[in-house]
Amino acid sequence: MLIRNFLYYIKEAFCSIGRNGWMSFASISVVTITLLILGSFILLNLNVEHIANEIKEQVEIIARVDENCRPDEVEKIRVSLIQIAQVEEVRFVSKEEALERLKEQLGEFMEGYEQEHNPLRDSFEIRTINPEDVPAVAAEIKKIPGIAAVDYGAEVVDKLFRSTNVIQWVGFAFMIGLAGTAMALIANTIKLTVNARAKEIMIMKWVGATEWFIRWPFIFEGIILGTIGALIPSLILIYAYGEAFNWARMNLYFLPLVAPEQILMDLSKLLLLLGATIGALGSMLSMRRFLKV
Amino acid sequence: MIEIQNLNMVYPNGVKALKDINLTIERSEFVFVVGASGAGKSTLIRLMGREFLPTSGSIRVFNKDITRLRRREVPYYRRKIGVVFQDFRLLENRTVFENVAFAMQVVGASPRQIRRQVPEALEMVKLTGKAKRKARELSGGEQQRVCLARAIVNKPSLIIADEPTGNLDPETSREIVQLLEEINLRGATVIMATHDKEIVDSMRKRVITLSAGKIIRDEQRGVYQQHAH
Repeated sequence: MLIRNFLYYIKEAFCSIGRNGWMSFASISVVTITLLILGSFILLNLNVEHIANEIKEQVEIIARVDENCRPDEVEKIRVSLIQIAQVEEVRFVSKEEALERLKEQLGEFMEGYEQEHNPLRDSFEIRTINPEDVPAVAAEIKKIPGIAAVDYGAEVVDKLFRSTNVIQWVGFAFMIGLAGTAMALIANTIKLTVNARAKEIMIMKWVGATEWFIRWPFIFEGIILGTIGALIPSLILIYAYGEAFNWARMNLYFLPLVAPEQILMDLSKLLLLLGATIGALGSMLSMRRFLKV
Repeated sequence: MIEIQNLNMVYPNGVKALKDINLTIERSEFVFVVGASGAGKSTLIRLMGREFLPTSGSIRVFNKDITRLRRREVPYYRRKIGVVFQDFRLLENRTVFENVAFAMQVVGASPRQIRRQVPEALEMVKLTGKAKRKARELSGGEQQRVCLARAIVNKPSLIIADEPTGNLDPETSREIVQLLEEINLRGATVIMATHDKEIVDSMRKRVITLSAGKIIRDEQRGVYQQHAH
């Protein structure tokens, strides 16, 4: 591509955006709105995934030891637990330590429960390498002699695993659908711009313009419109997510959200790339039939 | 310069627009193609511009059969010809200068060439003072002169004009044809489709008469025959 031609294409693209002001505004609006929805959804999905992972990380099995077990039998249980392949970490919590923890958590409600009247049992806190293995490991632990009870909040954990899976798949399908819709909307809007300029294209063909000479300004126009349309939602999301993150940190401190600096740059790059690609493809698709003069 | 052999054109709707046309046009000739509406004038002109392909036959222009051009070769052929349309086909929201310069930008001319050749073309069609006016602000005759300037700015050796005076009053029509004659005197071949009797009769150039898709008369220094209507 000659530099002179390149400059001509860029100049034409900008002039055309100016000349077709309303159409350009419509194209940019369509890109902005769809990419804003897409970007928000990506952020939401990433955070759901992040929260689910955080919760999964915290899931542990508590195995309570029969009160009649002797210390050597407790040690045997510990060894058996470590030998389970999926187990990552085993921690012994004596009934004294358990009572202290409970007192810390519940305060005055535990008044009167002293070590000599300790109703609790010794226990093991077990973490698995993979949080999804918790139910299977719990079942295995139950079989170890000397274990009186196993607890991991079975129902809650099962539900969490199932629902995060569903959310991720639904989110993925939704994102693909939204990207497709954005592309179709933009192609259609650009088609209207190209339609409005069918006469110009015909004149270009009659004075001897090659097909690529006709195409390039439209492609650049699509890229420019798509990029502007992506820049706006990127800036909105950077600002809004930063604010939301700060608010959540103050008010919903228990909610482990993804830090803005971890995702916003990548998200902006993705949106800009998507905007430019959608713009260029939309232009190319919508002008095919006008080149047949 | 142009050699047409056994040319037939049947449109997809079954209309036979041209039937077995054989024709030779020499370099620097001025040729009127006349005939009533539907006689096939426009089809012949559009085939010469390679707007579409004939059903059969060949059209040799500049020693090349343009019916055999590949799609990507068509723009390069069109750069060698200038086309004038009945409806001017200007970019109305651009200036006269921009409209003419457009034809040069498309072929990759340098800004220096454009600055030199556009004023020359505008001078030729007597529009020098209106270079900065928007095309839509001009009269029909002036718009047609812009179209002419655009057709000649790349100095083509063949000009084809499809009813260039069809939308103009007699006085303005005469001006346009005089301009075409000037262009012809400078060496370009001019082929003009028209059904304007007065103009054809006043010029006494070669006249090819079409009727129902056939050439019924081909005369040097001819006139418009009444039954061609």
